[in-house]
Amino acid sequence: MAQFILKRILVLVPVLLGVSVIVFALLYLTPGDPALLMLGEHAPPEQYRALREKLGLDDPVHIQYLRWLWRAVQLDLGDSIRSSRPVVEEIVERIPGTVELAVLSVLLATFIGIPAGVISATRPNSWLDNIFTVLALGGVSMPVFWQALMLIIIFSVNLGWLPPSGRLGGWEYFVLPVVTLGTSAAASITRMTRATMLEAIHEDYVRTARAKGLDERRVIYRHALRNALLPVVTVIGLEFGNLMAGAVITETIFAWPGIGRLAVDAIRTRDYPVVQGVVMTFALSYVLINLIVDLLYAYLDPRLRVRYH
Amino acid sequence: MASTLAPQRGAGLGLDTRGQLLRRVMRNRKALVGGVCLLIIALAAIFADVIAVHDPYTQNLRNRLQPPSGEHWLGTDQFGRDMFARIVHGARISLRVGFVSVGLALLVGGTMGLLAGYYGGWLESILMRLVDILLALPSFLLALAIVSTLGPSLTNVMIAVGIAYTPGFARVMRSAVLSVRQLDYVAAAQAAGASDLRIMFRHVVPNALNPMIVHATLALAGSILSAAGLSFLGMGAQPPTPEWGSMLNSARSFIRAAHHVVTYPGLAIMITVLCLNLLGDGLRDALDPRWNR
Repeated sequence: MAQFILKRILVLVPVLLGVSVIVFALLYLTPGDPALLMLGEHAPPEQYRALREKLGLDDPVHIQYLRWLWRAVQLDLGDSIRSSRPVVEEIVERIPGTVELAVLSVLLATFIGIPAGVISATRPNSWLDNIFTVLALGGVSMPVFWQALMLIIIFSVNLGWLPPSGRLGGWEYFVLPVVTLGTSAAASITRMTRATMLEAIHEDYVRTARAKGLDERRVIYRHALRNALLPVVTVIGLEFGNLMAGAVITETIFAWPGIGRLAVDAIRTRDYPVVQGVVMTFALSYVLINLIVDLLYAYLDPRLRVRYH
Repeated sequence: MASTLAPQRGAGLGLDTRGQLLRRVMRNRKALVGGVCLLIIALAAIFADVIAVHDPYTQNLRNRLQPPSGEHWLGTDQFGRDMFARIVHGARISLRVGFVSVGLALLVGGTMGLLAGYYGGWLESILMRLVDILLALPSFLLALAIVSTLGPSLTNVMIAVGIAYTPGFARVMRSAVLSVRQLDYVAAAQAAGASDLRIMFRHVVPNALNPMIVHATLALAGSILSAAGLSFLGMGAQPPTPEWGSMLNSARSFIRAAHHVVTYPGLAIMITVLCLNLLGDGLRDALDPRWNR
């Protein structure tokens, strides 16, 4: 297992280096002069030249990249143009907001998605299966921003039960953003669980379990579900990534203090060091989540570990 | 020699002829419902000028935020513009954005996957590492990052979404190519002296078409959602363009006064994406042998 983990981590190094090139290129290819952006159009020429020199903007591009990478490795992503604060500080401050939203949404999605998928698969073509299938298809087709607005109209504007935005304290502020983010993830998990369960319950070992005289509940939950859950683990991991993307929109609509909203605010104000930092953070977390999923997968399925030896 | 091999394509693989495939697709309820709905939306987009009697851009401030009526079937927006006209014209924009970005991704990603799968070796290593790098970011975030660099516009959204969906096509194409690359008829064509280009386009690509069609249909749904999301964040189509995501963004502040201004554009996105997902699911059931066991 240790060899497997080491190999998986080594594979990540070139990927993260590649991502760093893309992230660096984001700023480099952006039209306009970063020094002018920071100082404004009417800055005195000597101040402008001094800043260009300080930022190393006159150096060749590969030197600029290596310098940026070296600093990034030491967690120095520069300062925000808007607030003049270190980018890392701004990001670290916002991470808890996004993480709590993502974790709660994945939990909600898993608690809805897996039972719904199992019920659908064990009663194929029943009315319950049809309802779950339609709801799941609707869930993956629904734009997250529209769903958020609809929830605000129903539960905040019409019923007045929940606050429309912000995060001032109580649980009531979590409900709408978590439901918004969790719905499409729940739909994906339902679809995946249904598909893998349908496949699993036709396998020989399930037939053997039934032939042994085990009761149906034991056959489904102890034998079929345990095997069917493997691909579902991958989907849950991938959904974490999609939730980060969804967080950009959801946090913007619900004025939630997370990294997603920080990204949108930074893009709108052309605060490129923050944009770079946020994109790098998202990439790093997505890659790490995928790594954890792979390791979990290998832990659950020994066949995968063997393939790496 | 190579041409005589063509009709035998897929022999022994359990693949069907085009007629059989089409019949299987037509028999699939999901594919049929999704396809018919999509056709209706496409026709509405093509004949938007005929279907919508009002102009989607003409403002009438005295008639703003009116609920649905006989005159304005879906009501009017915050500038008194006819919502039905704007939504029907919006179908044209959304479908165009979807098709152009998926077309771009299909072309670039498909070529990458074809070259990687066919030639293997160092070319495959380089191309697939590039794919891994692009996959290190969720597609919507990648598109958002690209469009933030290029600047907000509909064209840039198409480019950004196209790039974001490229790695998916590269992977699907590569695995499809790998599955036929080692088959006897490809080796026979090589032995007969057929050029690489001829083998790729006459023997390899046709066998990779089914998974690519399925992937393209589902990617079309995703790309329409992504493009609408980018416009919703103000990174795509700019007002007064009747693009669904942009319409939702500019109408957000009026949900207390008249919620129909956000209800209908969102429904339009959802129905279009739902049709594409239905079609994609149905095509996968009908065309992908793994789902027909």
